[in-house]
Order: sequence, then structure tokens, then C-alpha cells
Amino acid sequence: MKIVIAGGGPQAEFIVSMFKDKKNNLIVINPSKAEADVLLKRYRVPVYVGKPWRRKSLEEADAYSADAFISLCEKDTDNFATCLAAKQIFDAKKCICVVSNPKNVDIYKQMGIDAVISASYLLGQSVQSETSLASMLKTLSLENDKITMIEAVVLSKYRIASLPLKECRFPSYVSVACIYRNPDVIIPKGDTVILPKDNLLLVCAPSDQKKVMNFIRQEKPKAEVILSKVVDKRKARKATKE
Amino acid sequence: MRNLTIILGCGRLGSSIANYSSQMGENVVVVDPNKLSFEKLNDAFSGITIASDSTDIDELRDAGLEDAKEVVITTGDDNVNLFLAYVCCKIFEVPYIYVRFDDPDKGLLIQGMPIKAIYPFQLSLDRFNLLRAGVEK
Repeated sequence: MKIVIAGGGPQAEFIVSMFKDKKNNLIVINPSKAEADVLLKRYRVPVYVGKPWRRKSLEEADAYSADAFISLCEKDTDNFATCLAAKQIFDAKKCICVVSNPKNVDIYKQMGIDAVISASYLLGQSVQSETSLASMLKTLSLENDKITMIEAVVLSKYRIASLPLKECRFPSYVSVACIYRNPDVIIPKGDTVILPKDNLLLVCAPSDQKKVMNFIRQEKPKAEVILSKVVDKRKARKATKE
Repeated sequence: MRNLTIILGCGRLGSSIANYSSQMGENVVVVDPNKLSFEKLNDAFSGITIASDSTDIDELRDAGLEDAKEVVITTGDDNVNLFLAYVCCKIFEVPYIYVRFDDPDKGLLIQGMPIKAIYPFQLSLDRFNLLRAGVEK
């Protein structure tokens, strides 16, 4: 994979150390001679000294057709100009950049940058996801917040508890990827019965997260809860006798 | 209603355009992060000056970009100018956008967009060639 890393101090070092040993073709461009020397000395990768937003620097570094172009310059606008040049003149397949102003995340994406990362933005998103969920639901954002993975613990009062998956009638916008039933990991099929205390791993779009939570939390009618408790107790007694 | 002429960057070029536009009776807003730069505006200037960071989307909105009929972008940084030109075009959909670039290669990044670029380097070169050819004195 051809990866271009433009600008950046410690961040560039970290990315270089991550991809150096994995048969990747790394191209590093840095406007600072001192930083370039550090990268060369520590990781033995060739570093082109130059401003990555200048066409000449990118030409000299042969930054054409990169599979991933990562821009880590200090100023947001430098990252924008670098990614735009990489995308439009040098045919980069995917451009990723960091920004210090979190407001720029959505704006840069709207203006054609594939992935934009802001520490403050991610922190805000993470806090928002966590606070919108009860303690027994955990979320994980993937693919730059385009996919959400929810971990939900099934309580006995939930409607889906003790039902086969096909009878739960999960909505089309969510998929049950996996069930963790200590100590087993179950890849569910239609006839897999969901039991109380099961951990469900659900995949959906972030916009559907609340709807999914509400679906999981639907409760059984009270009479059914009592009945299922009686059945569970009988099953437990039978198991101890055996 | 779009009736504002907004100048982003109040250097020599920005302030001259602001002075001229104001003299022509247009509603002018000048934005520059450095307050001292507004000293370049002449006494007859009747527009509004805003000292703020023009790379922040909310500051641009506050400056009235949504009501701009034209924007002239003349900060001293080509990358800032490129970003502002894109924001004015794609976010605020300003009808007339003029931007200055020192690096002629930046023109490749605005191809096919309704943004008009001014290249001081190219203008100087053209002028030099005319002077040398004796067409102008």
C-alpha cells in the first residue's frame, strides 16, 4: 500500500512507526528539516523536505496515486490545501487530515476530504454517545462515525429475552453480529434463542442508534414476565435434579 | 437579500479594494484578524470593519457571508485564501468570488468552479513582457 505522510511532528513519527514494517511504500514529506532528520535517524525512512501543499514538493516525492494520503500539518488550512492537491492533482485514493478546530470536521468533509480527525470532535462524539445510553449499553464508532457497534445486555424483562432470533423481528436497520454468552461466542442464526444476560453485539448507523436501543428495551407484558420466571425456575430445578 | 461586498484580508490590495468599493457607494465589510490593518482604510471609508479570524465558519457567518453578493479574498496566505474561496463557494454560495494566489498552481484546485483568481506573479510577468516589447511605456 502506498502511504504518503505529510507534515506533523510526533504524530508523523507515530504513523511512520505503525506502517513501517508492514510492506508498505511509505513516502514522508515534512517542511521541517529538523523533524525530517529525526524521522530519518529513528526509522530509516526517506524524508522529502518541503511544503506538502506545494505541487513541486509532491512531484519530487512522487506522491502520485497514493492509497492513503495523511496530512498532519499544524494549520488546518495547510492540511486542507495539501489534501485537495493530493486528491485533485495527484489522484490520492483516500485523503485523511487532522484539524484543531472541531467545526472544520464537517466542513472539510463537505468540501471533499474523505476523513477529518479532530481530538475535540471525537471527544464530544464519544461523550454524547456514552451519555445517551444506559450503563449496560456500550458503543463503538467505526469508519469515521459511519457505523456504530452497540453492546447490549439482555435483561429477563425484555421482550426479546428467551425468544429465537427470527421471532424477535429485528428491524432492517440493525444486524445482530454476535452474541457473547459467557464463555461462548455465538454467531447467531434464525433459530438461536436469545437468553437473559446475553451480550448482543449490534451493528447499525449512528442515526439509528436510539431506535435500536428503544427496540432492545421493549419490555414483555407483566403476565408474560411472571410466566417466564416460573418456567425459568422449573428449568433450574430440573437441571439440579439431573 | 445579498447586498454586501465582503473583503477578507485588509492588506494593501484588500484595503484599496475596500476604499474603492466604499467610494462607489457599496455596502462594504472588511474582515482581518489584525485591528491595526484597518488603519490602511482612508477617512472616507464608510463600511464596517470586523477584527476576527476569517478561517472560523461562525465568524464568517457573523460577518454576513450569507448576505454577500461578492467576496474578495486577499489574505497573505494562499492556503487560507483557497479554503475561504471553497467555503464561500460551497457553503455560502456567494455569486461572485475573487481570490488572490501567489502560487499559480493553486488555480488547478479551483478549475471548473465559479471562482475568479488573480495572480500577482502572472500580472507582473505580463506587464514586464509588454514593457519589454515596447507596447507600453
